[in-house]
Amino acid sequence: MDADPALNPDHELDHRAVSRDCRIVESRRFGAFSLLSLAAPEIAARAAPGQFVMVGVPGGRFLLRRPLSLHSVAGERVKLLVEARGEGSAVLAAGEVGDTLPLAGPLGSGFRLEGVTAALLVAGGIGAAPLQFVADELVAAEAPVVGAFGFRDAAQARLVGAFEIERLWVASDDGSVGRRGTVVELLDTIDVPDGATVFACGPAAMVAALAPWVAARGLAGYASLEAHMACGTGACHGCVVPTRAGYRRVCADGPVFALDDLETSPGRDPSTTEEAP
Amino acid sequence: MSTAERERGGLEPDLSVELGPMRLPHPVLNASGTFDLLEAAARYEGDLVAEFPFAAYVPKTVTLEPREGNPPPRITETPAGMINSVGLQNPGLDAYLPDLARLAALAAPVIVNVGGSRPHDFVAVVERLEEWLEAGRPGERPDVPAYELNVSCPNVATGLAIGADAAATADLVGRVKAVTRRFLMVKLTPNVTSVVEVALAAEAAGADGLSLVNTFKALVLDGETLRPFLGGVTGGLCGPAIKPLALRMVAEVAGAVRVPVVGMGGIVSGRDALEFIACGATAVQVGAANFAGIDAPRRIVAELDNEMRRRGLAGLAAVRGRAALPQRARSGRES
Repeated sequence: MDADPALNPDHELDHRAVSRDCRIVESRRFGAFSLLSLAAPEIAARAAPGQFVMVGVPGGRFLLRRPLSLHSVAGERVKLLVEARGEGSAVLAAGEVGDTLPLAGPLGSGFRLEGVTAALLVAGGIGAAPLQFVADELVAAEAPVVGAFGFRDAAQARLVGAFEIERLWVASDDGSVGRRGTVVELLDTIDVPDGATVFACGPAAMVAALAPWVAARGLAGYASLEAHMACGTGACHGCVVPTRAGYRRVCADGPVFALDDLETSPGRDPSTTEEAP
Repeated sequence: MSTAERERGGLEPDLSVELGPMRLPHPVLNASGTFDLLEAAARYEGDLVAEFPFAAYVPKTVTLEPREGNPPPRITETPAGMINSVGLQNPGLDAYLPDLARLAALAAPVIVNVGGSRPHDFVAVVERLEEWLEAGRPGERPDVPAYELNVSCPNVATGLAIGADAAATADLVGRVKAVTRRFLMVKLTPNVTSVVEVALAAEAAGADGLSLVNTFKALVLDGETLRPFLGGVTGGLCGPAIKPLALRMVAEVAGAVRVPVVGMGGIVSGRDALEFIACGATAVQVGAANFAGIDAPRRIVAELDNEMRRRGLAGLAAVRGRAALPQRARSGRES
């Protein structure tokens, strides 16, 4: 069951999750965002782009773990991009080198990268988090990658510092950074590689606006969705999103969904209130 | 062996309990809807089926027909707890049975949790389950010694939760009791004036056990818009915030009925579990704590073992009911 693939070449790589206490080995700040590197060899070895980990908030005040996308993987480390937007995520974002966080993962479906010859990465705000991992894998496979990230303002755009994507375009709602307007408006102004697959992550309104743009160009598109979660493993049905096949769990059926399958509406974005009340 | 010897660790505490026909190695069960064994086993390394951490497994509520559930958002954290408004999303009995069959390899007993919005639906589900369980060849069916009725769903006829009405609860229990000889537990809702009144009615109608409490009806607002946050508007509150409320109700019910009581509500530690047993519970269920980590049940059982060693307790019977309420406080009616 836990066979080492090196010892048993017929054994498929084990993608199953582990639950471990992981030490922060590097912490970089970009305004309200922190890029935490954690020593998590088993998770790093098993993770795929688009997967997430459930992260416990130290201090005992918070019951639920926080789902965080894997920003990237480097050797035995996983990197997590955290935005301090609620009390719990503020604790996580304040993590210092030497602190230990409980991680469970990797969880959820990843982005399917097989056969992808070129990619357009589209993000809104903290939604950018999983796209570095996608870029790293595709660049390693020598596929052209273009990124388009949208932000509210210059403060939110500081998270760009956490990314290394060679061709990255930026828009902001207030025009303080990059092109003024939404990220979908930005897409019309950039060169998209032929036959690019679109990988997106961001607020519901962005995904809703992106879906027709992608469909109109006949591209394949996938979005990684955010949701409030409790279990992260498909038990509680707390994190569902409407799809053409009915409600589906972001944690277990996603977080990656084909844009075609989503019942997108520019409705309320549950990610804007991380903790209520 | 003397108490002093026990305190030195000379005695292995016996955590086993008997719950109706079930002899369980320890008293910690999962609460329905908070732990999905098949999903967890498919995701986590190790073999959660072979090394099942709970004493018995309570799957998510099954209803006769599929239920889509409530619109999102369905869940959020609250101070010392969480609120949910899932709306019993489930694929219905037909799609549930294959998953139940996959639990045949589980050594622990399975307590099938059944929901519905009218008595007929509960009866139909239990009848179908009885046929299905009897039809299985050896090794094809899990060990299902018990049912747990989830009576918190609103009754289509009245709009009220069946479990909020003592007479409706008794009627339901009587009808289900007529179609099964298995151990029948009723999971009581705390959203009543007197949980004891409903408990006594269920017992009188033939319930073999009672589990409590389900979640407390509650409201959370979106802090920005000041409108209800949940898609289902109101939701059920659980987690450590409700533990004192749950302890009070468990003590009231355990003091009033003869059938075994399974206590739950905000248990996150072995000490919490022991407190419910001190209030008269035979066993306990762990719910929201499962969301804090896959390791929660093992940790809670280990902590319970430590609590017993520290106190020099040989078995749970020594503390069960220690926190029994004085007679005048048992009615459950507020003064």
